[in-house]
Amino acid sequence: MSFIDNGISHLGKVIRTGYIQWELASKDGFFQRLDARIKVLFLVFFIIIVSLKREIVPEIGIAFFIFVLAVLSRLNLFSFYKKVLSLGFIFGFLIALPAAFNVITKGEIILPLLHLSKSYDFWIYHVPQTIGITREGISGVIMLTLRVVNSISLSFLILYTTSFSDIIRAFRILKVPDAVLMIITLTYKYIFIFAKTVEDMHLAKKSRMTGGISNTEARRWIAGRIAFMFKKTQQRCEEVFKAMLGRGFSDTIKLYGFRKMNNLDRAAGFSLFFVGVLFLCI
Amino acid sequence: MHIPDGYLSPQTYLPLYGASFVFWTIALRKFKTDLSVKHVPYLAMAAAFSFLIQMFNIPIPGGTTGHAVGAGIVAILLGPWTAVIAVSVVLIIQAIVFGDGGITAIGANCFNMAVVMPFVSYWVFKLVKGEAVAGARLYTAAFLSGYTGLSISAVVTAVEFGIQPLIAMSPDGRPLYAPYPLEIAVPAMALEHLLLFGIVEGVVTILLLKYFIKHEPDLIYAVKEN
Repeated sequence: MSFIDNGISHLGKVIRTGYIQWELASKDGFFQRLDARIKVLFLVFFIIIVSLKREIVPEIGIAFFIFVLAVLSRLNLFSFYKKVLSLGFIFGFLIALPAAFNVITKGEIILPLLHLSKSYDFWIYHVPQTIGITREGISGVIMLTLRVVNSISLSFLILYTTSFSDIIRAFRILKVPDAVLMIITLTYKYIFIFAKTVEDMHLAKKSRMTGGISNTEARRWIAGRIAFMFKKTQQRCEEVFKAMLGRGFSDTIKLYGFRKMNNLDRAAGFSLFFVGVLFLCI
Repeated sequence: MHIPDGYLSPQTYLPLYGASFVFWTIALRKFKTDLSVKHVPYLAMAAAFSFLIQMFNIPIPGGTTGHAVGAGIVAILLGPWTAVIAVSVVLIIQAIVFGDGGITAIGANCFNMAVVMPFVSYWVFKLVKGEAVAGARLYTAAFLSGYTGLSISAVVTAVEFGIQPLIAMSPDGRPLYAPYPLEIAVPAMALEHLLLFGIVEGVVTILLLKYFIKHEPDLIYAVKEN
């Protein structure tokens, strides 16, 4: 794939992600109805629980619980798990897989794969005579994969049921300053505006190209485009600042507060906390 | 180089959150004691720019394409403390929206890519450049700044991975977090960054600096500071 096609597909992913998130967050499901502060606390609490668990069974239990929440939130389970499992497969299973072998994780070999004439020692590395998958190794790989899958599904459960601005505003509950939250919100908006500009640049370049271009010429074009984006972002920064002043911004930044929590929020918050404590204890 | 959730033990990700928190606090203090209205769009602009750098795939000799992290060039163009905030904001958005990097690992990822990388890149650039404001010495400084910044940041990441089997192992010898020991994690990460990704980062840094020196030399923080 050429550098232009690669760029377009990368940008397409960014724009698509934002759109899917916006569309799903506006559906009417269990998690969509909850206050964003409850969801952010749930996310932080459960991600810490996932990272603390050391056995496979509780991780499977957490995976099942997230599945139930995804069903109650009326998410499209196929696209949700397609994304979660593909990321979990790459970042959990594939990366950890070599650790299943006795070359890395010592232990009882349950699946011998290769028998060498003798073992080898090279500097600090040791290659045993029989190479195979160990019980300890494969159990470590399963544990890591489950932990990665659970963490990703927790993040996506919140992301697909809450608008980005609500997630960021809810971080106030963790005492993040309003000015920092505003930088993150503005950056997120800039990214989508400028991602579209960059995509247009790539498409314009592609439509003008009849043959290939040399790598040197391509690199020069990219450097020019990145510098152009730098100027454009600076210009936008000045415009935004003037617009903020024009709308009467003073020197203190304060985000709008949240609505009052209702009974559903309180009941859900308590239940999620209770389930979390249960998982911590088992 | 984004560390996902599940790879680092709490004994590692909590101190790294702490270390990043110290740098975030100092960086924000640099923008006056309290962030004023003017700094908010400026830092958001810097963050959006560091995100956009990663959107450009560069052809690499050998037929493939790769993208730069951009923390080094952002530090040279806008200063290392602006880079700390800008790259951290990008990493936080990537973790929350795109699933690139874990939420428990935000502190670690920010430390590696938003603290180590900009500062190493910036100081290598200043050291090698000396008094030069143009010419081969300046471009060598630019290449080395991107190359070294990324490579050192990769080695720091590898050390964080590599100490996991020492910190957290079950009684039966099962790895509980990242399973690769230092002697595997460090050479694996170092080699791929020294031989491939570091070169991409260096080339992007040199190309961008060349463009800015030619067209907008007044905008470059590390050159203005002379």
